Amino acid sequence: MEINRLPKVLLIFLSLFLVQEVLINQINFLVAGFSLYLAFFMAWVIQDQRNSAVVTGFIAGLILDLSPTLDAPFGLWTLVLTSMSYVLSSNVRAALDAELSPLVMLSVAVLASSFALALFLLFGAILGQEVGSASYLFRSISGNALWSALLSPLYIPLAMKLYKITLTARQR
Amino acid sequence: MATRGSNRSRLLWVSLLVTSLFIITLDLRGVSLLSSLRSGTQSVLAPVERLATRVFSPVGDFFSEVGNLGRSSEKIDKLEEENQELKSQVIFNENTLAQLESLKGVLDLAGKARYKTVSARVISKGGTGTFSETIVLDIGSDSGVRRDMTVIAASGLVGVVKSTTASSSIVLLMNDPSFRIGVRVAGKQDMGILLGQGDKNYSLQMLSATSAISVGDVLLARGSSGDKPFVPGVPVGRVSYVENTVGQLTKEGRVNGFVDLNSLSVVSVVLSAVAGDPGDALVPQAPRPAPTVTVFVTPSPTPKE
Repeated sequence: MEINRLPKVLLIFLSLFLVQEVLINQINFLVAGFSLYLAFFMAWVIQDQRNSAVVTGFIAGLILDLSPTLDAPFGLWTLVLTSMSYVLSSNVRAALDAELSPLVMLSVAVLASSFALALFLLFGAILGQEVGSASYLFRSISGNALWSALLSPLYIPLAMKLYKITLTARQR
Repeated sequence: MATRGSNRSRLLWVSLLVTSLFIITLDLRGVSLLSSLRSGTQSVLAPVERLATRVFSPVGDFFSEVGNLGRSSEKIDKLEEENQELKSQVIFNENTLAQLESLKGVLDLAGKARYKTVSARVISKGGTGTFSETIVLDIGSDSGVRRDMTVIAASGLVGVVKSTTASSSIVLLMNDPSFRIGVRVAGKQDMGILLGQGDKNYSLQMLSATSAISVGDVLLARGSSGDKPFVPGVPVGRVSYVENTVGQLTKEGRVNGFVDLNSLSVVSVVLSAVAGDPGDALVPQAPRPAPTVTVFVTPSPTPKE
């Protein structure tokens, strides 16, 4: 990632974190909840080059670890999002067409955020965290997937637009 | 064949992974810098959350109320504007009334048990990515709230204070998977442990092999030493199912909590239990069945013609 892109990326993910903590978390969704932050991150990272995706994953993870209501060790989301960003930007991206269609981005955002939540739980369980009953976990992950799919017309265009804004002239 | 570029990005990835593992290790070893980062974030977020609650709660309900938009007539627009104002006023009043009701209920409960409490508004909740059931209150250590204090609502236990800043506190709700509380059956001395499951149902494990529980039994908090984290006597829930498995050492069951944790707006933090254990004084009254009128009909013999 070019160093002059870093402040913009940092600002975008900090703002998104604020929106998630202050607004989205207050909404009573009918089924489970919705993590705009995760869905937006996945839609962002799939567009990114491998190196900058990994750095973005690390930064986004560190920001998410700041969440005061989080009961997991600091750094767990950093580990998950850094891993996810590498897998998405190298393996998944290579398997997809050069031009990303909105449907592909929707699928990536939904599946990857569900996978990230599952990975977070797995790492948490390994580190001795209480993870809850299977029905609770299933409801949380599937609920998040449902809302990520339904609200994709809102955040996917935003992720595409903001991603383009952060690119340098040479990268465009 | 791996190119130089892909090797470099793999190296970057591995070094960032190692860094995150290093951060996790530091946190697990109790480095205070990392935990203070989270409490720092809470201090920054609390005023914004408070403002957002004030603005967002009436507006969020207001949008669901307005159905017909897009009519172009000037008069209709004006009337709609007035209507919207009135509706938002009504919703605001309804919110305030609902909060007053909750506050009255929780003060009644605290008054009966002679708990010294401080009331608070819920300003935020834990998100999906946290997998922990938490709420954020608009009061903190400045109001006397400390870690491990009991939090109650009008109908019973809500949870326990997990952390505080000067002006906000985070409460671990009783349905969190890591939540455990010692309970006793009202009217008896049988004791058990209630475990959060992440939803409305709780799991109950009795401690003694001779304990008898039945559906409908009310469970109360047993209380902890020094009243932290739990003051005694707070209603927790009602037994909804008892498992009868052969060979089981102790009885197990499922419990429905008294408090709807999804619609909390006002709660109270118990600062101290002045009068000690209130016993069964806080057991909620069972709903009184509505009287039914029974009519007995005796057929009279048909008159002979």
